[in-house]
Amino acid sequence: MNNVAIVGTGQTKFSKDDGDVEKLLFESTKNCIQSVENCESKDIEGVLVSTNNNSKYLGAILSETIGIQPKISHSIEHLCSSGTNALISGYAYISSGLADMVLVSGVESATNPGQVLDWDKSRGSFDHPIYWASMLTKSHKTKFQTTEEELAIVSAKNHKQAMDNPLAYSNQPRTISEVMNSKQITDDLRILDCSRSCSGSASILLASEEKAKKISDQPIWIKGIGQKTTSASFTKNTLEEIESTRIAAKTAYEMAKVEPNDVDVAEVHDAFSVCELMAISELGITDNDKSGEFVRNLFNTENRMINPRGGLIGTGHPLGATGISQTIEITNQLQGKSEKRQISNLKTGLVHNMSAAGTSSSVMVLGN
Amino acid sequence: MTFFEDQLKQGIFQISYCEKCNENIWPPKEICHICFNESKWKKSENIGKIIEFSKKDSDYFGLVEIDQGIRIMGDISSLSTPKTGQIVTMKVSFDSKPHYSFTVKNN
Repeated sequence: MNNVAIVGTGQTKFSKDDGDVEKLLFESTKNCIQSVENCESKDIEGVLVSTNNNSKYLGAILSETIGIQPKISHSIEHLCSSGTNALISGYAYISSGLADMVLVSGVESATNPGQVLDWDKSRGSFDHPIYWASMLTKSHKTKFQTTEEELAIVSAKNHKQAMDNPLAYSNQPRTISEVMNSKQITDDLRILDCSRSCSGSASILLASEEKAKKISDQPIWIKGIGQKTTSASFTKNTLEEIESTRIAAKTAYEMAKVEPNDVDVAEVHDAFSVCELMAISELGITDNDKSGEFVRNLFNTENRMINPRGGLIGTGHPLGATGISQTIEITNQLQGKSEKRQISNLKTGLVHNMSAAGTSSSVMVLGN
Repeated sequence: MTFFEDQLKQGIFQISYCEKCNENIWPPKEICHICFNESKWKKSENIGKIIEFSKKDSDYFGLVEIDQGIRIMGDISSLSTPKTGQIVTMKVSFDSKPHYSFTVKNN
């Protein structure tokens, strides 16, 4: 298997306003290609577009827009983890030798219909994600004595970290008290516990080891990958667990030959506050009953180890772009290019992206 | 409209199951996920227990398990705060989406 590196990255600003997916795709792609000094667009052999948007044939349209005729071009949809699934597909094309360089671009418009999974009849009329999030939150509170303040700290921390991310949909700080007193959506969920649908795009250029060494001074290597789908219906989950994340993480750690305590920085899928607490536990970074305390300690010490770009809650959640944006953050951190958000002495970074209440998860371990 | 949805419209919750594998198939499908043979249908007993619940505005909703292992989300009617493990009866309907309504027994 060929080694695969991230050699270029580009994004757009995330926005609550509706956006044109083709224009957004082009903007992040242009920024991505221009981030690589010696990149010839014609050398891109694959173009993968991750989105929940209903637009057709976006892989070919993006290829034509940037004037290339790649071997491979198609779209990838997997709800909220479309982005990492597209990246891992790009990895597979390169590691198998089918392509030398693959562009992976994710995009969404704020009004995308991807939040609701009509197929899942078990959700009845409670089909919006706020309802499963309420079930997970209530259950976490009961089983692990998680407090509303600990949940609010997740959001306050991620909003604070997003203040230093110029691409986040909002740079407004939110105190713990503001989160706890924000609009009540359900008895177990407040509006500031929720990530927000956004317009936005993020692109990554992947390359084989041979190609990466020619065109990049600072390639970031994808060292471990784990994926797991346990169901398509969240009602089959044990409410206090994200089994798919636990299994995907174990696979990724084994492939990268690292342990959870080797992780220096991680972007985790905080679709709702409780998801961050559950994710860091399932990833082995802390224990379930200590996750609230762990995040409180990060907040109090201004340690940006978890979700330095602001996570989904602080940055916004353009579904098809989210996993790629998370990966760009970890790439930039490992390259020392995160400016105000930069964490020092990093060796190993992790990306965690999931779909539909954690019925499917992707985990990637990156290294420099 | 599928058979499952049409039956919901008539107030009946049908469960797809496989006679050969002795398995309920949920969410409802016309084929068994184990042997791929055609599934059969049986009516729910319309009784369940509350797995978890919350409240939106003044209305309770939650996850309820019916018929030994089928979990569904619906609204919960209760004169007092519901409890996990409490037994509920179920009524169903369908317009553009399924509606499952539970009432706490001995309310």
